[in-house]
Amino acid sequence: MNGQVVVATDLTRRYGEGDAAVDALAGVSTSFERDRFTAIMGPSGSGKSTLMHILAGLDKPTSGTVELDGVEITGLDDGELTKLRRDKLGFVFQFFNLLPVLTAEENLVLPLSIAGRKPDQQWVEQLIDTVGLADRRTHRPSELSGGQQQRVAVARALVSKPAVVFADEPTGNLDSRASADVLDLLRRSVDEFGQTVVMVTHDPVAAAHADRLITLRDGKLVQDGAPGSAEDVIELMKQLD
Amino acid sequence: MTSLGLKSLWARKVRALATSFAVVLGVAFVAGSYILTDTIFAAFDEIFSESNKGVSVVVTAKNPVEQESGETPSFSASVLKPVERTPGVKQAAGAIFTQGAFFDSKGEEIGSKFAPKFISSALPAGLRAVDYVEGHPPRGPTEASIDDAAAEDSDLKLGDRIKLVGQTRARSFRLTGFTRLGSASFGGTSIAQVTLPVAQEITNKRGRLDQISVAAADGVSAQALKRRIERRVPSSVRVETGKENADRGSEEIRDSLGFFQTFLLVFGFIAVFVGSFLIFNTFSITVAQRISEFGMLRTLGASRPQILTTVLVEALAVGLLGAAIGIGGGFLVAAALKALFETFGIDLPTTDLVLESRTVVVSLLVGVVVTLVSSLIPALRSTRVPPIAALHAFTPVPTRRRKVLYAGLSILLGLVGLGMLLAGLFGGGGAGARAGLMGGGAVVIVLAVSFFSPHLVRPLSAIAGWPLERLRRLLGRLARENAQRNPGRTAVTAAALMIGLALVAFVTVFAAGLKSSVAQVVDENFAGGLVIQNTNGFSPIPNGAAVAAREVPGVETVATVRSAQAKLLGAGSSALISAPSRDIGEALNVEWTAGGPEDLRRLGDDEAILSNSFASDHDLEVGDSFQLLTQTGARPRFQVTGEFDSKLGVLGSILVTQAVMARDLAQTQDSIDFVTTTPDADEAKVQALLTKGVEVAFPTAEVLNQQELKQQREDQINTLINLFYALLLFAVVISLFGVANTLALSIHERRRELGMLRAIGMSRRQVRTMIRYEAVITALIGGILGMVLGLIFATLIAQPLKDEGFTLSYPVGSLIALLVFAAVIGVVAAIYPARRASKLDVLESLQYE
Repeated sequence: MNGQVVVATDLTRRYGEGDAAVDALAGVSTSFERDRFTAIMGPSGSGKSTLMHILAGLDKPTSGTVELDGVEITGLDDGELTKLRRDKLGFVFQFFNLLPVLTAEENLVLPLSIAGRKPDQQWVEQLIDTVGLADRRTHRPSELSGGQQQRVAVARALVSKPAVVFADEPTGNLDSRASADVLDLLRRSVDEFGQTVVMVTHDPVAAAHADRLITLRDGKLVQDGAPGSAEDVIELMKQLD
Repeated sequence: MTSLGLKSLWARKVRALATSFAVVLGVAFVAGSYILTDTIFAAFDEIFSESNKGVSVVVTAKNPVEQESGETPSFSASVLKPVERTPGVKQAAGAIFTQGAFFDSKGEEIGSKFAPKFISSALPAGLRAVDYVEGHPPRGPTEASIDDAAAEDSDLKLGDRIKLVGQTRARSFRLTGFTRLGSASFGGTSIAQVTLPVAQEITNKRGRLDQISVAAADGVSAQALKRRIERRVPSSVRVETGKENADRGSEEIRDSLGFFQTFLLVFGFIAVFVGSFLIFNTFSITVAQRISEFGMLRTLGASRPQILTTVLVEALAVGLLGAAIGIGGGFLVAAALKALFETFGIDLPTTDLVLESRTVVVSLLVGVVVTLVSSLIPALRSTRVPPIAALHAFTPVPTRRRKVLYAGLSILLGLVGLGMLLAGLFGGGGAGARAGLMGGGAVVIVLAVSFFSPHLVRPLSAIAGWPLERLRRLLGRLARENAQRNPGRTAVTAAALMIGLALVAFVTVFAAGLKSSVAQVVDENFAGGLVIQNTNGFSPIPNGAAVAAREVPGVETVATVRSAQAKLLGAGSSALISAPSRDIGEALNVEWTAGGPEDLRRLGDDEAILSNSFASDHDLEVGDSFQLLTQTGARPRFQVTGEFDSKLGVLGSILVTQAVMARDLAQTQDSIDFVTTTPDADEAKVQALLTKGVEVAFPTAEVLNQQELKQQREDQINTLINLFYALLLFAVVISLFGVANTLALSIHERRRELGMLRAIGMSRRQVRTMIRYEAVITALIGGILGMVLGLIFATLIAQPLKDEGFTLSYPVGSLIALLVFAAVIGVVAAIYPARRASKLDVLESLQYE
């Protein structure tokens, strides 16, 4: 079941006013298909993070619209956005952002607990299995390695079966070994669970795991296509510089 | 480094103000207590000096034993003659100045209930201190004047009729004038003037005077005249110049109201003590948040003393700022305290608010010292930050050894405090020293519990959080975990609240014990029947009331008790002497420990019966003899013929005959009357008849049955504890700010976490609930600790009182209400932090490092 989950139209985002104004996004239109893994790249200040924040409803565009799973989100108030995040969005952040006071498993099901829903125990077991932390489920974050923590964070993003998972530099704080595990996990979520994933990264290796790579520069979309291998991505970045 | 401290303070103005606020509130209470009491003293100074305006010499009776009522004895009017004949006397006049009560034509009492009212005689023009703002002084036997404040208060006009009650039946007078004395407000105190013969008659002082005022002839100094008069009058009277007399009055007021100043200051220092916890916590958190800054300074070559200086300079500035604002706040507190006492029926005399330099010095000292001491530990902690902290996150973790050391020290400290408390309770020494030991012990115990409380945060928050977790699983759980996350911080915040609540619990438990003891005394000792007493519950009533009561049909006996203070010769301290009528055994169940009812019935004028506790305190037994010094200067000697159980609260320590009471203690009024009814009489009917018969002629008297008497005593205790609650509220409010402050700072530290929670679907309302629960848990920890401490204190302090018939009872309902109150404090404290947390911008919080 394909189709566009996220559709962004003519997005601009301006920070500040007058002479000091900076256009982080200067008219970006794009869309994201279901069951696909998309990477967003670009040099610092290219607007890639701003784009993701706006797509996820964490920031509001100066102009333009975002439609998420059929809902126009740029005009939603806080309550509607909260509900949207519960039902349709999953997040993975650069810093693992687990609650230190909860166990791995409690962190994993946290979005469901917040929403007051009963977790589907079979699905939870499957996730714990997939992230490979069956023997660590009662550990607290401080007792887990960085990679393990980030795998819990990925599983947490998947637990509510959201329409789309946004990952913001999910490997930015990990060594290459742990990064590979996390990327593998994201890949499998798309392939095995039919999840849609949008990931901002500056790591060519990470980008190579995606089905599609879009590149921004100076707030504009400058490239859109399959990423190929990590070497291809590095080559592409060089060309864009 | 000094300027760095100040600059960093300036950079965090809001937090500096929040910290200062704790100092402000505490200092304001201390300053306010001083300002209010100094103002009251100033008002009295003015009243006394105004009263002696134009008077060179004053003659009064010597007063070897001070009475609780403040009344001084009268002296024979024959003293006036030799005074008048003294060369150099231009004018001399005798006067009466005795406590009484006034009523308007509708029978409503004039002036506030608990303030003294004086019946005085109008002095001739040359010696008159009061000014007539309207009308003229009383001239005939049915004329009276009253002070204009009371007149305004009770809406009286010239020509209106008022009733005056001295020591006889109430008499009606026509108002002919309104008086004013100086510019100070008397509070609820009021003065009515009648002619001298009338005053002598209604105060039962025919042929006697309370005072002689003398004006000197031109060219005669007050001192010289005083010496001349002194040589001509008996030694039982005191001769003073007008100024000496006013100064003595001022000094006596300062002595007798000194307790009031101490009383208020105790609450002030409780507020300061609570505030110091808040300061400690804020500085601890600030230092923790500035660790990388300190690390950076260390890498730049700053020494440890320099780091210490920056923090202490900040503390000094906060303390000074807080104290300065606090002194200003003192004026508000003084006004608020006065208003508070007014709502409790205590009208305090005032004049313009007085700020003594002592108030400023003490306030500044308290503010600065408390802030410096409270910030010392956080400041020392800041010096332990290594330079590496500049580069990566560094959390100083207290080592296990240190933790054990602290726990051991706090237990040791607790034992020391307990020892002090027990030494104060059961040891010897003066009352002041013992109270000091007990207070000091309580403070030390509170400190010990505070130091130890981090270990209690985990179990107590589990208890306090349990209902919340049942209510809202996840939010309750997160709130509890967050409260437990930094046990030290939660503990100090809760401990601040604990202090106020411990005192509230103590007062509650103690008052419950008092109430049940009073009820028990009434039940066990009153052989049924009715009592007649003053409407204010403590002043004497005219003895005519008992005479009138005996005429009421259905009344069998009216037993009377008269009381006054006297000193046991050689012992120094004052004791309450009671003179019951011989038929007192009909109305009271006196428990005899030596002798029996016959001894009381046949008591001779040279015999006395002692309470067993007084007898054992002074090593007296049946057959021993002792001597009293009374307020009239008499030194009667008595032989002990019996002992009774002192649990009976109505009678004092020594029982003598009413004849001795009148002759040597100048007391002919009843402090309380006991009425028994004939077996066939309906008590309710008798009470109604008595009320009709007695209360009209003697409006200061009221007739109560046992139930009403208990209720009235209970009401008095309730009024008192409500006053305590109101004064303790200040400390509780400070700790409420402490909870809010800690919460706000914790939220600041946890912003990213909150951002994440919002990002994965937590609503604003859920965030608010979570924060509110955290505050409730913290407050409940304080509530539980406070309740337990209060219970322990009350139980301990009740032990030595058991002999006096004090029984402890634990008011479960009130204690549950206390916990609910603690939870409400948490909810209120969380309002602002919870709002702020829920309004955090998700994206900004996520990016915050």
